[in-house]
Amino acid sequence: MHVTHELELFPEYSVTQMLFTDVKNAAALRKSAMEGQINGALINPAMLVDPFQALVAANKAVHLQKAGKMKTRSLLSEIIFNLSPTNNISEAFRRFGMSDGDGAVHVVTVHPREDMSDVDTILARVEGRQVPVGEISTFTDVPGIKKLYKVTPSEEKCGSLLEAVVCRMAVKDVV
Amino acid sequence: MASDRSDSAAPLLAGCALWKQGAEARIYRGKFLGRAAVVKHRFPKRYRHPQLDEKLTRRRTVQEARAALRCRKAGISVPVVYFVDYTTHCIFMEDLVGSITVRDHIVTTQQSGDNPESLGGLADEMGRILAKMHDEDVIHGDLTTSNMLLRNGSEGPGADLVLIDFGLSYTSALPEDKGVDMYVLEKAFLSTHPNTESLFQQLLNSYTAASKKAPAVIKKLDEVRLRGRKRSMVG
Repeated sequence: MHVTHELELFPEYSVTQMLFTDVKNAAALRKSAMEGQINGALINPAMLVDPFQALVAANKAVHLQKAGKMKTRSLLSEIIFNLSPTNNISEAFRRFGMSDGDGAVHVVTVHPREDMSDVDTILARVEGRQVPVGEISTFTDVPGIKKLYKVTPSEEKCGSLLEAVVCRMAVKDVV
Repeated sequence: MASDRSDSAAPLLAGCALWKQGAEARIYRGKFLGRAAVVKHRFPKRYRHPQLDEKLTRRRTVQEARAALRCRKAGISVPVVYFVDYTTHCIFMEDLVGSITVRDHIVTTQQSGDNPESLGGLADEMGRILAKMHDEDVIHGDLTTSNMLLRNGSEGPGADLVLIDFGLSYTSALPEDKGVDMYVLEKAFLSTHPNTESLFQQLLNSYTAASKKAPAVIKKLDEVRLRGRKRSMVG
């Protein structure tokens, strides 16, 4: 169901992703995350094309945290910020972060390699139905993503939507 | 310490294997989040003044990343950039497994002697892609047949060309700059691949057919040719 991936560049960490639908306590979850009680970035799954996209965001966040160069205040908010094609932080939270009224949420957590306790905490706290992370595409708002990331029609001919998104995430600091 | 700067990339490159070493960068192959990836590490050059080196290396890394996105937006195939580390100047990008350079393909085709006409399709495609790139006002800066890849299995008609190595790229709408870009390619092309004048002309024809701004560029190309090095017959 949930998927754990180790970060080759930072082998002491792993990234676990979980996807939930029919979520009843979105507002409470957001509050818990903001208060630091759960170690998870709560992402709006409509804005995700593929789990790889979230992995790239997490990888960059860990790298920037280690280098002391994060743009936001915490690792989790940095993950959300990295998903955005722009450098406006509040806009990134608005568009990519989960909202109080959302019924579905994609949770990304960065934790020490063999330690799954954060994952267990999240699984216990979310009041909703867990679905396999591989099903993320059923939530994806493709037209919304194309519009937000400004993907051109010619770009779609030379690569997938995921590639277009990942490339922008990687290059946005200098574009 | 200069040696520190070179070593600072070591942890990032731990899981990767050195594949090629050039004057500018070392290319490694490895995995990035499970995907086959290439890491281009622009290592510190100790023969340069440190501040200059940092500036230059950073600029080249940034230009390469920017150009990659600009080309993609225009529909030109370039490797997907996955992650850029601006502290060590490493670019993690898609590894086009099984691809060969256009240079190697032309050399093998010429050596095997059979069907040199198949290269015509390749020349047409090169002309088209370069026309698209210049129409986007992207100047590659280092056009050679070693900087063009053919995706695995696409050597035949309908060649799937991928451009690489945008470290010297910049933006310009000037036909002069585009003409120079093409001149660099012509020089590299003709010196690497003997007896290919007609093939290159085919490339230029395809370029002209694909871009409305081409006539001005070709005119400048002719002027640059006349200007070129060692043109004066003075002893």
